[in-house]
Amino acid sequence: MKNIYSFSGPEGLKDMKHPIVFIHGTGMDHTVWTLPIRYFLRKDRNVLGIDLPGHGRSKGKLLETIPEMAKWLIRYLDDLKINEFSVVGHSMGSLIALETAALAKKRAVNLVMVGTAFPMAVSDVLLNYAKSNKPEAIDILTYMGYSNQARLGRNTNPGMWMTGSTKKLLEKSNKGVIYQDLKACAEYDSGLKSAAQVSATTLLILGKKDFLTPPFKAKDLIKSFKDPVVKEIKDSGHTLMAESPNKVLDYLIEIL
Amino acid sequence: MKDPKELKPDTLSLHAGQRPDPATGARATPIYQTSSFVFDSSEIAAGIFNVERTGHVYSRITNPTNSVLEERISALEGGIGAIATSSGQAAMHLAISTILDSGSHIIASNCLYGGSHNLLEYTFPRFGIETSFIDFRDTNLLKQSFKENTRLVFGETLGNPGLDVMDIETVSNISHENGVPLLVDSTFTTPHLMRPFDLGADLIFHSATKFLSGHGVVIGGLLVDSGNFDWETSGKFPQLTEPYSGFHNMIFTQEFGPAAFISRARKEGARDFGACMSPHTAFLVLQGIETLGLRMDRHVATTLQIVEYLNNHDLVEKVVYPTLTTHPDHKLASKLLPKGCGAVFTFELKGGREAGKAFIENLSIFSHLANVGDAKSLVIHPASTTHHRMDAASLEKAGISEGTIRLSVGLEDPEDLINDLDLGFRAAKKTL
Repeated sequence: MKNIYSFSGPEGLKDMKHPIVFIHGTGMDHTVWTLPIRYFLRKDRNVLGIDLPGHGRSKGKLLETIPEMAKWLIRYLDDLKINEFSVVGHSMGSLIALETAALAKKRAVNLVMVGTAFPMAVSDVLLNYAKSNKPEAIDILTYMGYSNQARLGRNTNPGMWMTGSTKKLLEKSNKGVIYQDLKACAEYDSGLKSAAQVSATTLLILGKKDFLTPPFKAKDLIKSFKDPVVKEIKDSGHTLMAESPNKVLDYLIEIL
Repeated sequence: MKDPKELKPDTLSLHAGQRPDPATGARATPIYQTSSFVFDSSEIAAGIFNVERTGHVYSRITNPTNSVLEERISALEGGIGAIATSSGQAAMHLAISTILDSGSHIIASNCLYGGSHNLLEYTFPRFGIETSFIDFRDTNLLKQSFKENTRLVFGETLGNPGLDVMDIETVSNISHENGVPLLVDSTFTTPHLMRPFDLGADLIFHSATKFLSGHGVVIGGLLVDSGNFDWETSGKFPQLTEPYSGFHNMIFTQEFGPAAFISRARKEGARDFGACMSPHTAFLVLQGIETLGLRMDRHVATTLQIVEYLNNHDLVEKVVYPTLTTHPDHKLASKLLPKGCGAVFTFELKGGREAGKAFIENLSIFSHLANVGDAKSLVIHPASTTHHRMDAASLEKAGISEGTIRLSVGLEDPEDLINDLDLGFRAAKKTL
């Protein structure tokens, strides 16, 4: 697929066998998954860190709904002649991963939803800020994206200021991207139905101190899966890959 | 929905990067005085080395105490990450060596700290890096100074010795139009008085020895990355946009996005050049930063009193401080430095070298030494110390005269400081 960027390591995909597909959240890109991607590459796994259309290094028109994004992802995998895959998504990416696993149920081996909830409600205030491309949208997402404690820092990734890094990544997104992504999250209404259709082994990684997708808002979703594994990280907010990168990786390793 | 209330600088000065120690409950930042860190297993070790897990390996590269300091300065400056170094000079060297190669060219302000000038004028040329020194006030000259191989623009928030105020917004715009980042030495202003990233700077370094510490007991530096510069669009920095064989062909922009620069600086510069900060030093710098806002306000308030005293003194030819309307950057300073222009400045004493020597030798509270930014007030007479080999003409070229005195105003009672200066003036008068 033209103009779409995905990261598969310095040498690219070695073959098309069962890649792990990583999908970012609102306004982000594949770099939020760099650490786990590096692990699975070291273990000789095929990995695709996707930049969704209009995000990061990918060009193209923004996709408007979660089902559209999932269908696009399946087409992307089809183009690469990929049959089986595992799919991992964070926040908005978790909904895309869910929908993808439901639409391609025979091909999706594992589904991992990180920092997720259904419905993934978005406040009108935030949507309006995002619609007008106001910096307040980024401020709110950054603020709500971390636990209270993490806003003070003490990053396990030495020397990096977590909220500053998240804010910068969001600031680098093109105008309209954050709004379109948030709107897609807010309008997604088939989560429970899709969860019931999923046959992939399913893992949900939730942050106990998540303000954007608090664990209690994932309860109905969890009930809708056949036999999901749920891991709750007690010290983490919504940005789990930054706040608890090693725990997230450990849980990914268990299932993938 | 919660209202996003960003933490204010005084809160960040005390808390950013640190929470009570999970192992002991210690409220203060512990000093992790260790060279290295035990791995839980070989697999975990491999993961940390491969940058798939976070953690510490060896204190030359990262250390938990240093990390607190690095996060704190990042938070205060509005950056994404930082590296603590053994000195401000080391931080400057790390910034330049991360993105410049032999054959590169730097455009630097012509009013730099002597140490920075030495590095650029005499040392880097040995490694094939040349520098053009220009007056940043001349924007046409700045625009004309870019060459095919220019890779960095560099200046100080307040220049040396004339406290030239850098118009960061203008200089950064010109730099960015040429696909080149702006590096700023923010030592004299600290994030309390100015945040250069908000004005368009891309990289900042500090001599943490000075106001950040404020106690004059350590030597240290900090290099901070804004995460703003678009290395890929610039296309001039293969160090960040092409495979690095020194780290498994990593392409830093691909894997770390906005953190490409600071990641390479740590993975290469900290690893290979090794100019790391001691954890004990990091702890002491942190103690200083905890009171940064309080101290800087006091430094500035006392400085203003002393500037006024000097400006009205019969034995003073002139005072060089940007709040004075006589300073060429007075208007710009009012805009960029509303909280004040720091606490280091110069004045010209009537009577030349002999008067200068007599003045300095009769001060008792001001300490005669080659440093600035201490809690204690400091003084130096360049013509009889740092620049003693220069004749009057050479001194003039360097922007100073035989009677130039540099003060770094500390936190003592202003009245005591003025009384001390009075003793110096009485002695100077006898030489006339």
